[in-house]
Amino acid sequence: MVTLSIAKQTLEDMLRRKILLILLIVAVAMIALGPSPGFLSPRESSAVLRSLGLAVILLAGLLITVLTGIQVIPTEIERRTVYTVLSKPVQRYEFVLGKFLGGLFTVFVMIASMGIVFLGVLRYQEGRFAPEMVQGVVMTFFQMTLLGALAIFFSTFATPVVNFFLSFGLFIVGNMSAVTESLLQNKNVATRVIAGAVHYAIPNFGNFNIQNKLIHPQVVIKDMNVFIMQNIAYALIYSAVLLLLAILVFDRREV
Amino acid sequence: MQASTRRNLILAIVPLLALAALLQARIDPTVADMNKGRKTPFAGLSTEFILGPLLGMQQAVAGLLWVRADEFFHEGDYDAILPMVRMVTWLDPHNLDVYITGAWHLAYNFTDSSERSDRRYIPAAQKLLEEGDANNSGVYDIAFELGWQNTDKIKDYLRANHWYKICAEKRKGMDERGELTQPVPMFVRHQLAHSYARLGRIDEAVAEWRKALLMSNELVRKDPKDYKSRNVRDSERHNLELTLKRKFSRYTHEIDWELDSELKQKDARGIDPVTGEPKLRDVYVFRKDSEIQTKREQYRLAGEVAPSMAIGQPRPPAIASKWETAFDVRPTFTADKVLELKGRFNIGDGARVTIRMHDEGWRPPQLDAFTFDLDQSVTLMQDQHSVRQGTWGRKIDMSKDPKMYSFKAPHYFLVFEFDPRTTSPFIHDRFGWSGEGMKDAKYLWEETEKDPPNRIIRKVYRISRAQVLRRSPITEADVFPTAQYMELQKPAKASASE
Repeated sequence: MVTLSIAKQTLEDMLRRKILLILLIVAVAMIALGPSPGFLSPRESSAVLRSLGLAVILLAGLLITVLTGIQVIPTEIERRTVYTVLSKPVQRYEFVLGKFLGGLFTVFVMIASMGIVFLGVLRYQEGRFAPEMVQGVVMTFFQMTLLGALAIFFSTFATPVVNFFLSFGLFIVGNMSAVTESLLQNKNVATRVIAGAVHYAIPNFGNFNIQNKLIHPQVVIKDMNVFIMQNIAYALIYSAVLLLLAILVFDRREV
Repeated sequence: MQASTRRNLILAIVPLLALAALLQARIDPTVADMNKGRKTPFAGLSTEFILGPLLGMQQAVAGLLWVRADEFFHEGDYDAILPMVRMVTWLDPHNLDVYITGAWHLAYNFTDSSERSDRRYIPAAQKLLEEGDANNSGVYDIAFELGWQNTDKIKDYLRANHWYKICAEKRKGMDERGELTQPVPMFVRHQLAHSYARLGRIDEAVAEWRKALLMSNELVRKDPKDYKSRNVRDSERHNLELTLKRKFSRYTHEIDWELDSELKQKDARGIDPVTGEPKLRDVYVFRKDSEIQTKREQYRLAGEVAPSMAIGQPRPPAIASKWETAFDVRPTFTADKVLELKGRFNIGDGARVTIRMHDEGWRPPQLDAFTFDLDQSVTLMQDQHSVRQGTWGRKIDMSKDPKMYSFKAPHYFLVFEFDPRTTSPFIHDRFGWSGEGMKDAKYLWEETEKDPPNRIIRKVYRISRAQVLRRSPITEADVFPTAQYMELQKPAKASASE
């Protein structure tokens, strides 16, 4: 209950932030402008529209998640409101979880808004509802869930600037999972070991990229639903690990 | 937090991480499958485009690059498009249109100042399509393009047939909702049938039309109001009947096409679509003495003895009297690198003679992988010219395009050929699909390795660079044995620069 109260307060606080709203407005405008390169063939046009729409949702979601994740805990410490909260019967883990959930709700609201506009634009442009694109939006949300947990973990011990670069950097490395996976077959043992460590220890954000399948229907995935469920489970388990680490670090932190 | 709780939390992290790693191992094969053909996120990209792929937005960057490539195309900046095609296919190996458009661009749009294609790009175009097909082997689109390029541009009907067969038998189509469908669109089967006809394998062409007709009949039966399928079915009926009639007319008994249309008006049944044989009442026989005289004249002109012919007897087919084509050509360089040709060819207006000139050491390369890096020192020119009133001629100016015709090699082959399989139906009516009704005292070459054998006309010169630059004339002493030339032209494993 306490956790949810903190989450609700965090959500309200975040939705008041102009920077996030500006990001949302810009993203929605970009999605709406997607059909503008209309000189391409229908198939190419559809591919460009779909890829750009999903990319805008990803990019805006990424910025919103990182900006939210790096701020929610340090701001409370900077404003010293954390003293008031923690002096009440509130456990530190409840505080961390509440902040994470608040940030996650914010990201959900933003991504859902962009997703609805995106589906509307697709409906207008292609003349039919494209339910498969919901999968792309859902995958982006769980990708951001994992990134949000990472940012919350870093925010328990790093400054927002350091946290921004750490989260962003790890997101880039995690997106190269296809590269690290291919290095697992390298002839050099040292390369294989390092690639293995990176591949299995660092959150693999590249897993969530199913744009290939959504943009090009001819790409066949054996069982799409299983693949999506595996990724959701991966995001939830890895986020749980990061939140446990965040709780452990924040528990010992002097505030 | 109590120490024991803390310890328990730390202990909980270990199995969770193990579980995440296990899941990752399960996810990896699907991701690898989905990314088949994709290169590293930053492969070949300029700095402004690198960030997108690093953030997992390969497809979006590929889409933007493709939009830019389209702008370059409309600006006429063709050279700028090729690297973009390469980047887009690396970033997004499932974008079918990029492979198809890129290969079309390579094969057709690089030309000299007289609009002759730079055929040195054709192996690269084929390789790009093959790469695209390997990355998208579930759908027919790129394999069909391979078939079409081999039909239209390269005239290699055997390879075209190979790809059309793959399309028709192993691939799927895609409907407007993106659902994979089978059978593939019927035009794929139509092209397969046409390719059999081009190979002279008429029975297989007929069988393919029949198969297509059966399938279309089934589609029409399921949805009688599907007018698209009905139109397709009607075209198939027409093509089946036409192929059967042509086969009959060219190889069994000549058909009087005017009489045939009269018969059709009276009785729509015409030729039996199952056997391909005309019914008794429709047998095309000599009805007047003047028809026999015309036929005798045909034999006389061909220098052959006419068989016995009488009113009421079936007419012998056109190819029965082999026609001397008397092919020849005199090539002259009238200015440096300007080739003027004067030829004769007794074959009929509209037949086209192919003219090819290339380095002595050049042969059709077989690339290991796609590359658009060309060896600019190779000279390869190909053109065609139509025969009019038994003669043909052309002026080919290669002096204005040194990038295409560098003439750096010491010797060249200058080849003139007529392949009946590439020609029009009205020429086939006289000579058959494989040149069966054609003879030539000097330059007939029988491709016996083909099934059925093909009879083509080919004259080859081996000339020197000095002759190209008019230091000495081209004479009949420069004529090169066709058999030796064909031996030299057998494709060899080669690099792109060969």
